[in-house]
Amino acid sequence: MSPLGLLVVGAPREALEEVQAALAEMPARMPVPVVLVLHRGLHEVLAGPLGHRCPLPVVEPDDKEALLPGRVYLAPAGYHLLVDGNCVCLSREPAEHGQRPSIDALFESASEAHGPGVAGLLFGGHEDGWAGLAALREQGGRAAVTRAAEETEGVERVPPGGVKDWLARLVPVTRMKVLP
Amino acid sequence: MSPPERGSELERLELELLLEAVWRHYGFDLRDHARPLLLRQLRRHLREERLDTLSALQGRVLHDADAMEGLLRALAGPSRPLFAEPAFFRSFRARVVPVLRTWPSVRVWHAGCGSGEETYALAILLMEEGLWGRCRLYASDASEGLLADARTGVIPLPDEEESRHYLEAGGRRALSDYYTRDGNWAVFSRALREGIFFTQHNLATDGSFNEFQVVLCRDTLLAYNRALSHRVHRRLYESLSRFGFLCLGRKESVASTPHAAAYEELEDSGRVFRRVA
Repeated sequence: MSPLGLLVVGAPREALEEVQAALAEMPARMPVPVVLVLHRGLHEVLAGPLGHRCPLPVVEPDDKEALLPGRVYLAPAGYHLLVDGNCVCLSREPAEHGQRPSIDALFESASEAHGPGVAGLLFGGHEDGWAGLAALREQGGRAAVTRAAEETEGVERVPPGGVKDWLARLVPVTRMKVLP
Repeated sequence: MSPPERGSELERLELELLLEAVWRHYGFDLRDHARPLLLRQLRRHLREERLDTLSALQGRVLHDADAMEGLLRALAGPSRPLFAEPAFFRSFRARVVPVLRTWPSVRVWHAGCGSGEETYALAILLMEEGLWGRCRLYASDASEGLLADARTGVIPLPDEEESRHYLEAGGRRALSDYYTRDGNWAVFSRALREGIFFTQHNLATDGSFNEFQVVLCRDTLLAYNRALSHRVHRRLYESLSRFGFLCLGRKESVASTPHAAAYEELEDSGRVFRRVA
């Protein structure tokens, strides 16, 4: 397995609480950037509530902002968030599956930018995100989904309470250096 | 032959060749557009044109200038509704207009005007604020086709949402006072149409063409990669007079550009920056 370079997370609006719980499980020393698309209304304020229990800062990035490890980047309302190398690329293109931001747009661009170095976690329950997960698999990335009606090849099933274990397998806990 | 896999070496090669062909044959430089966005736009354009590959698109574009125009439209994206993001127009009224009133004359540049909806919205605002007489409003875009649309001043008849946005933007009359209805279309009044100078200008390749007190460039630079966006920011900076205003999109900033230090952001203004150096 190639080392993890980027974690992408997608969720429909109904999964807000599950996403909050998952963010609370993030390791405080997350070695990669986390990019999150949550289906949302135009005037919803989400970065604050989502960051409340998360040990990592949750920010809504501006266009062309650099993606830094140890931060959660939340797609802003009304824009698709694409990954361009290690940079944010926002877009005003039409909605996909009725959604802007769209999960597929994020997952597809992330898989093209980082190939097998991407892990994607989809909170199921919406048609948006499945094509993106498939793209992640094709490029050799890791894909997981919280709720799935049926088995999908190459896509791991993670129960809502199992996100912590899944993350722990992705990001091996780095031991503290023992100081002399 | 089946289309190449997304993100494959072959697709990348086809993309490079297409961009090179468009540049060498038409002089439109798309090579520094933000790649992930460009690819999505091109793939959608392929689906709409029922083409399988970027090479097929290249063939069509090289032999048919209309196809090139179609490509430019596809890259420009859909037109935006009138007074989209009323908060911006509201803060422009509250924060920028009072300063413009103190100046004897004002040149305004709307860079990347597309099919002109936002330009007309701005024109309506300037008219309501009594600035129309001393303003010269220039609007530019790279696509001559979009400019031709914009010049006609004809847009789909505004819907209820657009009327509501106009009022939320601080509108003082009724939106329908500014156009005459023609079936499902609206034609903007002559005073508006004749007061806007639509002119072709390619932000990616052309230099500065005047000095302005206000530059509006909202969500246009999203299409460019970081290097090109920095080059364009240099042009915008050079085109702006000292103490002039630069209006960007809601999620755009000068923060990471080479000219960050030359601007001050107006607080709670929805991304209006003032050139102070």
